[in-house]
Amino acid sequence: MKALFFITFAVYGLSVALEFTGTAFKKDKLLRAAWISFLAAFALHTVFFVARGVAAKRLPLSNQFEFATAFAWGVALFAIVVCTRAKADWLKVAAMPAALLIMTYAALQPMEIRDLMPALRSAWFGVHIGSAVLAYASFVLAGCIGARYLRFARRPEPDKKALEQMDYMSYRMVSFGFLFLTVVILSGAIWAEQAWSSFWSWDPKEVWALITWIIYAVYLHLRLRGKHTGVKMAWFLVIAVFVVFFTFAGVNTLMHGMHTYG
Amino acid sequence: MKKVWNFLRSMRFGLLLLGLIAVCSVIGTVIPQEREIGWYAQTYRAFHGAILLLRFHRIFTSWYFVALLGLLCLNLTLCSVLRIVRVVRTAGGESERAARLPDSTALTPEGVEALREHLLRLRCRREKIGGSEVYTRNGFGRYGSFLTHLAILLTLVFGALALYTPTVTDRSCMPGEAISLPDGTEIRVQDFRINDETGRLDYTSHVQLTLPDGRRSGLSELKVNHPFRFGPYKLFQQSFGTAGSVTVENLENGGHDDFLLEEMSYLTIDERNGIIYEQLYPDYIRDPDGEVTLITVTEGAYRNPIYAFEVLADGVRTPSLAVPGDSLEVLGLRFTFNEPVEYPGLRIKHVSTLFNALLVAAFTLMIAGLYVTFFFDPVVVKLDAEGYAVGGPKPERMRVELGALFAEYERGGEKL
Repeated sequence: MKALFFITFAVYGLSVALEFTGTAFKKDKLLRAAWISFLAAFALHTVFFVARGVAAKRLPLSNQFEFATAFAWGVALFAIVVCTRAKADWLKVAAMPAALLIMTYAALQPMEIRDLMPALRSAWFGVHIGSAVLAYASFVLAGCIGARYLRFARRPEPDKKALEQMDYMSYRMVSFGFLFLTVVILSGAIWAEQAWSSFWSWDPKEVWALITWIIYAVYLHLRLRGKHTGVKMAWFLVIAVFVVFFTFAGVNTLMHGMHTYG
Repeated sequence: MKKVWNFLRSMRFGLLLLGLIAVCSVIGTVIPQEREIGWYAQTYRAFHGAILLLRFHRIFTSWYFVALLGLLCLNLTLCSVLRIVRVVRTAGGESERAARLPDSTALTPEGVEALREHLLRLRCRREKIGGSEVYTRNGFGRYGSFLTHLAILLTLVFGALALYTPTVTDRSCMPGEAISLPDGTEIRVQDFRINDETGRLDYTSHVQLTLPDGRRSGLSELKVNHPFRFGPYKLFQQSFGTAGSVTVENLENGGHDDFLLEEMSYLTIDERNGIIYEQLYPDYIRDPDGEVTLITVTEGAYRNPIYAFEVLADGVRTPSLAVPGDSLEVLGLRFTFNEPVEYPGLRIKHVSTLFNALLVAAFTLMIAGLYVTFFFDPVVVKLDAEGYAVGGPKPERMRVELGALFAEYERGGEKL
């Protein structure tokens, strides 16, 4: 199982290396190879994810390693969907390293399969944590699109149509992520009432999920007002990704609370 | 006055409030909450005065945080009313307004036909106004934002009621015993176990609840994630403990008594002879020389329990250890150490079913509202012989989609 994880990790690494080399030297063949290896890494990742679930006899989402692996899988999935459907090749150079970065974090976590603790044995487990995977992955991809927007906007004669498409795509990713983050918070509240007797306890993880929610709510409203588009909103998305990472990893590492499961 | 009113209902004010709530929330996670005052003095030294003065140690119940939430409710109420009035007012003449839009994109006659087919494939509603065709889609989507904001408001209101109106009591109860509440309700705990048959952590008890009016529940299972509800009460598996169990037998008259020991206890008749129970340890290691190392921490049930106590003989204390099954005699009394007893800590909540149900309904409404907002973009497309224009409350998606459609045609060498 560990070997499969590290093979997946290595193939992601290879795809990123090929992508950067292909971009730097403008070699289409290398870029094609990068994409194929990324698809291969995603396929291996899916096999690993399923195998881990079968071995653990549950959804593999119970600790930092499993969540980070699922998170990286979500980023890769969305990257593949967006790049394929919207023919957004420009996204690859940002999305591929993002998936690799999260896999690197996963590789640093304890990997052993442990029994679910009683508080996690609930029908809400999959809904709550699965939604978090989708929400965080969407936000990371929105941040990647934002980063690419900033790069494109710096060109002497930026392609306005492409920028418009990027702006809209990042908005779609945020709206998707925002919906799922809302599901995370609300399903978590219902679950918390069953497990801990209270819908809300101001636990650090809960509060940081709320802060993340507020940040993206502000993004959606600012965009709606129409006064802030383009570069400012792209910067917003890039910075907001750091908050997502803090909510995901920072809170568990630096703060003690009821969500400290490992 | 009008300026204040406009500000209170504005999006800018709403965003300002959200920002301030986020800042307070960050402070509330950086500074640990609800600790003893002395802890803050020791940890933050020179700053502790400021922390206490600004109530950063209890920020989520501070007057200014509650005021921020109150103002957010006010802002949501005002902007929701404003929003629904505006939506209803503008919904009527949308098609007519769209029909007057100047074409934004010119099309060939083939392009017009292709776009017409595309719009019909999208199941747009078609109207003929003047010389134009007006296609509308996802009209219901215009209410999504209103539903979402209303749901957030309801969540704040019902959330406050659901969080702060219940009365909560934490009590532990030995298996086979009962807890009596001030209103006459009785909760009997039949049994409790920490681990199940396979050794997995489980924390399951069987409880029965009798209400003051005599109504009695059946014997029900209570475990983590599976609270038990009867009447206005909801019971939660909250914590657990392990108590020592000692049987004391009077060797002269044959009388005996069982004691459950949770804290330091004196088991004597004359205060000079007997045992002083100190603590029950979950595990121990005995080395080849017979030296015993006591283990204080364990996960779940005590696998290898050991009693630490002092024998009191004519006022002289001698430290001693015993495992379940051991017994000793002190001046006509026999002390037998039994297997420890596991017991649950229950959280007893007197809750309002109505508030909880309303809160969950508000949650559902919020999800539905967001879904409608993000995935049902209300849009109007005006199509005439020369070209088309996209309008309506959320035209962006359609513009991008039609833009992509153009690009596809252009790539295929065919221009719309």
